[in-house]
Amino acid sequence: MSTPAPAASNSPSRRRAYGLLVLTELRLALRYPVGLVFGLGLPMLLLVIFGSIPSLTQPKKEFGGVSFFTVYAPTLMVLVLLVLGLLSLPTQMAGYREQGVLRRMSTTPVPASALLGAQLAVNLILAAASIVMLLGVGAGAFNLVLPSQAGWYLLSLVLTIAAMFGIGLCVAALASSPQVASAIGMGLFYPLAFFAGLYFPLVELHSSVIDQIAKVLPSGAGFDALHASLAGHFPGGEAIGVLVAYAIVFSAIAVRWFRWGVERSETRRLAIPALLMHSIKQSTGSR
Amino acid sequence: MTKTFDDDVSLVIAVEHLRKAYGATVAVDDVSFSVRAGEIFGVLGRNGAGKTTTVECLSGLRVPDSGHLEVLGLDPLANGRELHERVGVQLQQSALPPKIRVGEAVDLYASFYSRPADSDRLLGVLGLDAKRGSYFRDLSGGQKQRLSIVLALIGQPEIAILDELTTGLDPEARRETWDLIEGVRDSGVTIVLVTHFMEEAERLCDRVALIDRGKVIALGPPAHLGEQAATSKRVRLRAPDQLADVVLEALPEVSAVEHHGSDLVVVGSGNLGTAVVLAFDRAGLVAEDVRTEASSLEDAFLALTAAAENDETAVDAGR
Repeated sequence: MSTPAPAASNSPSRRRAYGLLVLTELRLALRYPVGLVFGLGLPMLLLVIFGSIPSLTQPKKEFGGVSFFTVYAPTLMVLVLLVLGLLSLPTQMAGYREQGVLRRMSTTPVPASALLGAQLAVNLILAAASIVMLLGVGAGAFNLVLPSQAGWYLLSLVLTIAAMFGIGLCVAALASSPQVASAIGMGLFYPLAFFAGLYFPLVELHSSVIDQIAKVLPSGAGFDALHASLAGHFPGGEAIGVLVAYAIVFSAIAVRWFRWGVERSETRRLAIPALLMHSIKQSTGSR
Repeated sequence: MTKTFDDDVSLVIAVEHLRKAYGATVAVDDVSFSVRAGEIFGVLGRNGAGKTTTVECLSGLRVPDSGHLEVLGLDPLANGRELHERVGVQLQQSALPPKIRVGEAVDLYASFYSRPADSDRLLGVLGLDAKRGSYFRDLSGGQKQRLSIVLALIGQPEIAILDELTTGLDPEARRETWDLIEGVRDSGVTIVLVTHFMEEAERLCDRVALIDRGKVIALGPPAHLGEQAATSKRVRLRAPDQLADVVLEALPEVSAVEHHGSDLVVVGSGNLGTAVVLAFDRAGLVAEDVRTEASSLEDAFLALTAAAENDETAVDAGR
């Protein structure tokens, strides 16, 4: 048996199916407002509260001459991605597995992986909407300084999204039920949120140990990259490396072990690692 | 590959020596049967007999350990996409997000197929047209089952595989569902019906495969299975006279006469009912309330599974 042929995704009918799938998932996301409340509502609420306290918008020496508000903005971005990537996406996918939605789709011409794609798309749409709103309201109402180097900022965002969603996909792949997915997600969320400075800015701790840990965690690295690029600087090689590593490692685990609620023949399941091995051998052999 | 189909062009499913184990548990040991175009084929057996695993293999959801499977001339694993275009499947558990609306689910699933059925017409036929705007979770058990039939048929399949379709339905909803299934068959769809209800199989199926502990123990029209299992017949009548016993016991067809209160139960073989009435007539007795106790598929099932169990014990003892 050979690797299954890639989906005929170019045909108009298939494209219509994928479009309708994303639209349906978007509607469902609006009906289960957990992702909306915590992914869009909570960060906005925090932005408005902290933006409304005058002392927090004054430049402070301890924050390197900028305000608490400016330091806290990247934290809110990381919070959005933690909620949508680590909580919303895996819980929803594990629910679909438990409810038999993935199996049901596996009996149609459209594979269940299209549903995962739609879920990813919906959470990315929500993340983009949330971040754009935070930047817009922050800049419009509370004098949040917008990134002068949009390119670096965008790169930082994309890499933080890739790292967070990669971990989320991994949780979705391995969790046997939505309860397990939610427990793992929460277990990761609280410490990761701490290292993104959600509870208080980490600089206030003056602890090099905490700083060292934060640097190698996706939330800390994401915060560093967003913080640096918001000020118009290069996000930092270390932060970029950490984020890319998380994204690749966890996405690869998810791809390898995602349980669709359907049996795959060994050859099919091993197709991706085998392809990787093959290409590695080829590239090393050609040197 | 297509050899099976050259023998009889009207076959749409061929299963040969299917085997599937989950670790040490053998779910399907040795199952073979074929399904003809346009029939309602029942896969019948107790819970855990291996019915669902069998149809999951047919649907391409499971990988058989060994054996040969062909559905519409396709290998369910190698040609999954084409198979799913032509075979509609209804799974045992509810399989939709709780807050999807009926209309959304139907339109979404219709978009998966290259030539979908008219969803309004299908919802109308299944009595769900008023429910288009309802959430899946707010439907009754019967409505959920009917929606899953709609989704199984939305791609205009040639074969519909329906697993435990009426489990959990009240008797009225069950009967309505049966009528629907007959209607679907009459529209030209071949149906594979998985069930543990004897009555359902008897009422609906043209042929059934009785599966017990992973093996087919009987195959054929439900009525034939009843006859096949009926080793003895029973005729019940009102006991007219003390003489009756003597008259009945003299008959070659009769093997035993039992008294149940004021009733006589005559156990025997052959044309038992007629023999009893004629013998009474000759002796000048009148037989009242003569009833032949029909051997149902349920009796057949119990007799056949018991026989299979005895065989097993005999084999075990021989080892």
